[in-house]
Amino acid sequence: MYNRYYKKPIVQKVILIFFLVSVSLTATAQYAGFKAIDDLAGFKKQFALEAKKTQSIKSNFVQDKNLSLLEEKITSEGKFYFKRENKVRIAYEKPFQYLMVMNGDEMFIKDNQKENKVNVKSNKLFQQVNKIMVDCVQGTILDNKDFTVRVFQNDKTWLMEMTPVGKSLKEFFQVIVIHADKKDYTVSSIDMHEPSGDNTLIRFTQKELNAAIPDEMFVIK
Amino acid sequence: MLLSQMRCLLLSSIVCVLLMACASSYKDLKPIQANPACLAKFKPVFKSTWYNASIDVVGKHLSGLLLFKTMPDSTMRVVFTNEVGITFFDFEFASTGDFKVKQVIEQLDKAAVITLLRKDFELIMMKGATSPRIKTLARGEQVFYAVRGKKETDYFITDKDCGSLLKIEKASKRKKKTEVILMGESAQAPDSVFLKHFTFNMQIGLKKILR
Repeated sequence: MYNRYYKKPIVQKVILIFFLVSVSLTATAQYAGFKAIDDLAGFKKQFALEAKKTQSIKSNFVQDKNLSLLEEKITSEGKFYFKRENKVRIAYEKPFQYLMVMNGDEMFIKDNQKENKVNVKSNKLFQQVNKIMVDCVQGTILDNKDFTVRVFQNDKTWLMEMTPVGKSLKEFFQVIVIHADKKDYTVSSIDMHEPSGDNTLIRFTQKELNAAIPDEMFVIK
Repeated sequence: MLLSQMRCLLLSSIVCVLLMACASSYKDLKPIQANPACLAKFKPVFKSTWYNASIDVVGKHLSGLLLFKTMPDSTMRVVFTNEVGITFFDFEFASTGDFKVKQVIEQLDKAAVITLLRKDFELIMMKGATSPRIKTLARGEQVFYAVRGKKETDYFITDKDCGSLLKIEKASKRKKKTEVILMGESAQAPDSVFLKHFTFNMQIGLKKILR
């Protein structure tokens, strides 16, 4: 009896150590070929500074929504435009049409049936969820207090792992993984992982930086 | 004299209006002999079909993508996501009639909302069309295949020869509550689906996405 009282904590310790080792192994092995960066605060400053050099982005995008358990995938594509400050236009063109324009605190959505003007400040959850994509692209998501951030790197890419803190965002996202090119600090992909195991990967291709984009592209009617 | 005549007129008008309100829209249906097995050819077979979906409910508009997928175990999954990729709900309909909520966002996680959506999708999927309890009725050239539930009846309405499915209705004893129209070249894989509620302001519109 006496021995059993003292054996139990040792067994627990071994389990705990094993657990911690496996967790740390998982953490480093999570993104193959990437290493964690040490100076997160420094990176955030540098990222914000470099991102500001980009006044506009014109890009194509391809979005894959994967329903893992259903073994189902739907791919859509379209055009993406960003202009500093806070102007974004995302137009899904295939296989469905959907337009989202953000200009400051205002958002305009046009789907197959209707046009809808929304004030982002009115705090509607669906619009907030859409806005995350926009924040990711303009780099402002690093300052978003709704997420904890870990940053990794390899030769060519920064990898930002955003984990939601609040309950409402946790319902939609387990983690959001953003890849950014080291050469110009622009986002090359956004991978939104849902708690169910499903994910949505948006890849930006044929990026054109600092091209002239007329303000009319961001007019909210 | 005039006053009493007016009172009488008013009373009879009220009684008339009340009687009209209470009259069943389905009372004129006459039983006929018809073969309900013919409905099977209209029952949608959704192997894996994506639709552009719009839901309008009490002045609010929601759009997104809706997937109907038959799983290897023959259960049907109905998944609704927004265009950006966030899943709003994922329902499972078993061929036994069982229903499971696999996933739903908090804002929609209300018994009344889920029951409503369940009934709407079951109507679109023509769940009752293979029921052994189908009664056959007619109104003019239209044949009504009626499946009676506890409080509501589903009507699958075809032309005289069961050559085409005209519409589907869900009704209480007296009035129509929901109407579904499936459109497209193949009835089993509709290109468009329109669902309208008559007891409150709600509509669902689906348009097939060609991938």
